[in-house]
Amino acid sequence: MSGLEITGLSKSFGGVCALDDVSVAFPHGKINALIGPNGSGKTTFFNCVTGMIRADSGRITYRGQDLTGRPPHRIARAGIGRSFQLCRVFPRMTVLDNLLCAVQPRTLRAKAGRSHSRAETERARHWLTRMGIDHLERAEAQNLSWGQQKLLELAGVLMSEPETILLDEPAGGVNPALIDRICALVSELNAEGRTFLVVEHNMDLVMSLSHHIVVFDRGWPIAEGPPSAIRSDEKVLGAYLGV
Amino acid sequence: MRSDSEPRTTTSGSRTGGGGRTGPLAAPIARHRVALGMKLLLYAVALTALFTFPDVAPSRYEVTVAITLLNYAVLATAWNFVGGFTGYISLGHGAFAGLGAYGTALLVVKAELPSFPALFAAAALVGLIAVPVGYAALRVRGASFVIVSIALVLVLLLVFQSWASFTGGSRGMVVPRPFPGMLRTEHHRVFYFLFAALLALALVTWWLIDRSRFGLGLKSIREDEDKAQALGTPTFAYKLVVFVVSAVFTALAGGLYALWFGDLDPVFQFSILSGAYMVLMALLGGVRHLYGPLLGALVVGYALEYSKLEYGDTPLHLVTAGLLLAVVVLFMPDGVIPAVRGLAARFLGGGQSSIREVTAAELLHGQRAAGSAAPPDSRTRKEVSS
Amino acid sequence: MPSAGLVFQSVLLGLLLGGLYALLAAGLTLYFGIMRVVMIAHSAFLILAAYLAWWAHRETGVDPLLTLVVTVPLFFLAGVALQRLLLSRLSPVTLTMMSVLLTFAIALVIEGLLGYAFSGTQRRIRLGYSSTSLELFGARIAVVKLIGFALAALSLLGLYLLLKHSRFGQALRATIQHREAARLLGIDTDRVAGYGFGLGLATAAVGGTALSLDSTIYPSLHWHWIGPLMAIIVVGGLGSVPGAAIAAMTLGMMQSLLQIELAATWAQTIFYLALFGTLAFRPQGFFGGRLAQRF
Repeated sequence: MSGLEITGLSKSFGGVCALDDVSVAFPHGKINALIGPNGSGKTTFFNCVTGMIRADSGRITYRGQDLTGRPPHRIARAGIGRSFQLCRVFPRMTVLDNLLCAVQPRTLRAKAGRSHSRAETERARHWLTRMGIDHLERAEAQNLSWGQQKLLELAGVLMSEPETILLDEPAGGVNPALIDRICALVSELNAEGRTFLVVEHNMDLVMSLSHHIVVFDRGWPIAEGPPSAIRSDEKVLGAYLGV
Repeated sequence: MRSDSEPRTTTSGSRTGGGGRTGPLAAPIARHRVALGMKLLLYAVALTALFTFPDVAPSRYEVTVAITLLNYAVLATAWNFVGGFTGYISLGHGAFAGLGAYGTALLVVKAELPSFPALFAAAALVGLIAVPVGYAALRVRGASFVIVSIALVLVLLLVFQSWASFTGGSRGMVVPRPFPGMLRTEHHRVFYFLFAALLALALVTWWLIDRSRFGLGLKSIREDEDKAQALGTPTFAYKLVVFVVSAVFTALAGGLYALWFGDLDPVFQFSILSGAYMVLMALLGGVRHLYGPLLGALVVGYALEYSKLEYGDTPLHLVTAGLLLAVVVLFMPDGVIPAVRGLAARFLGGGQSSIREVTAAELLHGQRAAGSAAPPDSRTRKEVSS
Repeated sequence: MPSAGLVFQSVLLGLLLGGLYALLAAGLTLYFGIMRVVMIAHSAFLILAAYLAWWAHRETGVDPLLTLVVTVPLFFLAGVALQRLLLSRLSPVTLTMMSVLLTFAIALVIEGLLGYAFSGTQRRIRLGYSSTSLELFGARIAVVKLIGFALAALSLLGLYLLLKHSRFGQALRATIQHREAARLLGIDTDRVAGYGFGLGLATAAVGGTALSLDSTIYPSLHWHWIGPLMAIIVVGGLGSVPGAAIAAMTLGMMQSLLQIELAATWAQTIFYLALFGTLAFRPQGFFGGRLAQRF
């Protein structure tokens, strides 16, 4: 089934080309990974897909829906959630409120309704429990440890019920035990039917977790395929080792 | 921000750790009861004082001062719809007050509308004007918003001073009284209650937004706008709506002031300084709290009126306002309410510095439970990222 | 239809005024580039410098231009102090908003102190050459305006050379473009940011002296300057020095041309129209770098 499809995406910053006519498709229902050396355009790609920055040209479609040029909140509402590099939570809100912010009321009545409704609070607690941080419900997010903030961010994204989740370096700055936990969560959530697109530097993680890998180098996808194929791809080795 | 919340939590944590041998839940509930009782008592006292003040006031002067304070309180609360929820600081809210005042005056004088329909019509018009202004100001982030807000006051001052045939120019404008036959004392009394009603309306509206999903969305904008957008919050629309609400309340306060005072001068109506006072009042009290701006308005407003009476109008007003603003910005950007609460919590021996925060002991417990989730290097990592 | 001579004269006057705007806008752009700070007090310092020139002239009779020797270093130091002692204390999360309030507070203090020290009376320097003017292709241009423009142009040129060709300029530009990366390269970004602020405030000293030559000054005058200056940096694209300079010249000229037909106050509204128009239709400004997009 067709999921996220990108055709001819280009973006340059003041003459420096970050993305050069990129066309890739990510199969729906799988754990996809996006890897590449520093400065290869992964984060720019992420930001273009989620509408945070506007691409110079190219089309972004998701399950047949054209998302090109849509503002970030519309893309989120189309079912694409994202986490941020270096983890972003709402620092001076409680953990529970952090999750409730992800609830998007559609009608005017719902917008005016109480933010802490019973049903939504229960749903938020469900995700907090799954992340293992439900005991921190009333703590301010800024008082959480780094690892707890990472889990909180993921819980927030899940609260908005996305079908596809883009994770920007989920293992960045996280200890090995928590990496395992995040991996397990991603696999579980994928088994429940969610698609993932993960940008990550940790090769072990990428190789063990993902079904499909796209490799970027200098703003351009140089290889794609299953982990086994990527591991032995000469172009990829070249890009990483600088040969 | 991290640095000043950090020590507070630790000190309170060590206190609960040392003294609190009883169950972790019994103490909070008892404390909650006491707090509720105190709150009700405070409300009762405040309301009684509010209702009886015009009758017990020693002279008409005190009533006019009270009206001025109420006006400030409405303005600061109205400002706080934008400043408190979204964190966007408007220095030009004086413009909306001025537009409300002049709008009401012009509708009464030129269109010969009755006073109060004119007031509401003017506020509605200001709401309409706020849409394109907000559109220009809110599309990009903070810096342009501030610039637009200041520019708005400056351009309106130019227009209202120069367009003499319509606005009376620098000579100002006289607004006919809404109740022509009424005695002075009675006039003040009526307006005292009108301002109080408007304040109540503004507070209730703020409270309703505060507890709503819309309000939570606005607060997420204040915390991290990119993140809010990524979670699907239509940030621009939300900001625009609350900006218009804020403008309308500001205009209502301005219009009511025009009807009460009866005399408008563009220099005072479209003054950067009046906007600055709103910011100062709201910030001093605490923008995250319903009563923060009200409290700030009482303190700053009273100081203003007092110094006007004692020392007359001197340029030193500006110096004082500037210094006070600088002190608030540098040393207590959250206002006095959290500061006082923190102090109270320490003296009462309570662990909680605010209802929404969990005590450090609980947090520690939680971290132990989460175990591996807390890497030792987490602190340094975060410092780098922020 | 105004005569061609009048139009020509207005264009010249507009350019001369635009030069001063450009210098001051360059200062504002520096602050914004370095720290994302909208420095409301910039024009208050401008008026302060003008007052100092006027006061020195009244007390000692020296030429106001000589006060530059004192005010420029003084303002430079004040700028460094402002950045290092006050602005750097603010939390980075709310820096943009809180710095606006802080610099606003400083503007209020300066205005109040000027009013207290020199009263609200309008002041003007009378010099031997105050009323001399030059004939230029039929246009009459006051000498003091030319001197003011020359000052502004020279300072702007100096600033440009400093930024483009000195080691410090390189460090400053690196700091503006990417603070973390600059730090990794071994640049002491805090010190550089402080000096950048000093430079910005020095432009206000030069501008103030130029202003004192041919303008009537009073304490609240700075509000009439900060509005147009902020409009200029937005139209030019926040953070772009050349953009600000072009916008300054263009808007200065338009203001001057409008003054032929309209009263001075109405002509000034052109700045605000340009500001609102820019933000509504092209929020990144007309010459803007990528900085502007998310601010």
